Amino acid sequence: MIELRNITKKFYQKTKAITALSDVTLTVPEGKIFGVIGASGAGKSTLIRCVNLLEKPTSGEVIVDGQNLINLSSKELAKARRHIGMIFQHFNLLSSRTVFENVAFSLELDHTPKQEIQKRVSDLLSLVGLDEKHHDYPVNLSGGQKQRVAIARTLASNPKVLLCDEATSALDPATTKSILALLKDINKRLNITILLITHEMDVVKDICDEVAVISEGQLIEQGAVSEIFSHPKTALAKEFIASSLNLEIPVDYKERLVAAPAADKRPLLKLEFTGQSVDDPVLSEVARLFQIDSNVISARMDYAGGVKFGVMLIEVFGTQENSLRAIEFYQNKNIKVEVLGYV
Amino acid sequence: MSDSMILLLAKGAWETIVMTFVSGFFGFLIGLPTGVLLYLTRKGQVLEHRTLNNVISVIVNIFRSIPFIILIVWMIPFTRALVGTSIGVEAAIVPLSIGAAPFIARLIENSLIEVPGGLVEAARAMGATPFQIVYKVLLPEALPSIINSASVTLITLVGYSAMGGAVGAGGLGQIGYQYGYVGYDVFVMNTVLILLIMLVFLIQFLGDFIAKKVDHR
Ligand SMILES: Nc1ncnc2c1ncn2[C@@H]1O[C@H](COP(=O)(O)OP(=O)(O)O)[C@@H](O)[C@H]1O
Ligand SMILES: [Mg+2]
Repeated sequence: MIELRNITKKFYQKTKAITALSDVTLTVPEGKIFGVIGASGAGKSTLIRCVNLLEKPTSGEVIVDGQNLINLSSKELAKARRHIGMIFQHFNLLSSRTVFENVAFSLELDHTPKQEIQKRVSDLLSLVGLDEKHHDYPVNLSGGQKQRVAIARTLASNPKVLLCDEATSALDPATTKSILALLKDINKRLNITILLITHEMDVVKDICDEVAVISEGQLIEQGAVSEIFSHPKTALAKEFIASSLNLEIPVDYKERLVAAPAADKRPLLKLEFTGQSVDDPVLSEVARLFQIDSNVISARMDYAGGVKFGVMLIEVFGTQENSLRAIEFYQNKNIKVEVLGYV
Repeated sequence: MSDSMILLLAKGAWETIVMTFVSGFFGFLIGLPTGVLLYLTRKGQVLEHRTLNNVISVIVNIFRSIPFIILIVWMIPFTRALVGTSIGVEAAIVPLSIGAAPFIARLIENSLIEVPGGLVEAARAMGATPFQIVYKVLLPEALPSIINSASVTLITLVGYSAMGGAVGAGGLGQIGYQYGYVGYDVFVMNTVLILLIMLVFLIQFLGDFIAKKVDHR
């Protein structure tokens, strides 16, 4: 549905040229949700802006719904853009218009008759759950509500694809969840193909089918979400996965934590489960085999694309020898073990 | 104060109001599109055009640097060709409008610059044409700021029109000049002053009131 072929984008600033994208190729199949993840400054926004030619690539082809956008006249491009929705990190709602008028905006561009606008806007506002807010101004809405208005606005012109530029980055975690759920719903219900960019692995994990990792303007890894989570190849991909699982040691444990073993202290282990880890009831196996008791201090296990992964902090009760054997046992099951210290 | 003096002051006040608002209107008629064009042809904007931007910018700057009292005199041939005379209210409106236009153009340009770039971006992404971006996004979003510009302009025009009074423009300025500077009638001079101050306060008050009404930011 969206095809980028060998996209390179250079920005020229006085004497120097910045290469924001170099030779980026990606395909988003119809009906899928495709995520591009990368750190700040990696070129994510430039990439997504190339899809609707808000930024014109220096070279390469952009094909959306079978149409090559690169050589269109500005009039044809404006028309093509009607079928490419876009939402933004900072919502970009018109402050001078009410919620209703904001959603009506893109319909007005097409000179849609008043009555049709009335009906369509009402339908869209109920779709995004803002029935009560027709006559409010954006300044009186919460971030999540603003993004809902922006989504309704962009859906008004019946887009086939939706571009999301860090659409949840300005929102709190709970609101992020609800907006992601809405996007997923739109994807399923209206069969709209979604390309989203983000710096949060949680977003990818929650709704994406496929993901690409971008670094310094290059796509360094891409594939199905389950594939990337179970076999991340690049260090950056691993880092993003780990960052979505960051577990802190609780404060009272941190205070007691020492680096060296001591008679009255027990090891504190961090177990990291990736897609390659064997899906066995390891804690109880260890208990049986090595007479080790484990106290789970905190844990975060998750599923993405059908694989289980996560981290766990455990305090281990047992002899030193048995503890070492347990660690070896975990490692044989492809669980990454780190001794954080002794508590 | 004699009845005839009251009548004279009332006529003068009315003339000042007419000069201020009519030339403000024509000033906007020229200044608004010029300001929009200045904005649109800026670097990175939808109609980016360096040469055009520079040309307009130079013309605007030239007209802004001419002191108003000189502009009036300098424009006399043009004024005479346009309205048939070079004295009186009608004649004063011509240089007043021309004097206000570049000032307004810059104020409008600055108001538009303040509109967050993301809004133009969103409109472009939705397939809006440059014309639609101007009248559906930029002007409505900049409206509170444009109204503030309008009050600033009108207040400046009150001052300009009084200045024009010295060279026969009519209005309170001329009364102040004749009775104050020439005749040294302190009472008339102070009355003129009070009337001018009241007019300025009224414009400012109305401007603030309307700007607040349309501001939903
Ligand atoms: N209009 C521009 N002019 C010059 N450099 C730009 C412009 N837009 C982006 N860049 C540069 O391109 C790189 C990628 O930017 P961007 O796509 O915004 O990154 P991201 O969205 O991943 O944070 C950055 O180094 C940024 O400074
Ligand atoms: Mg960005």
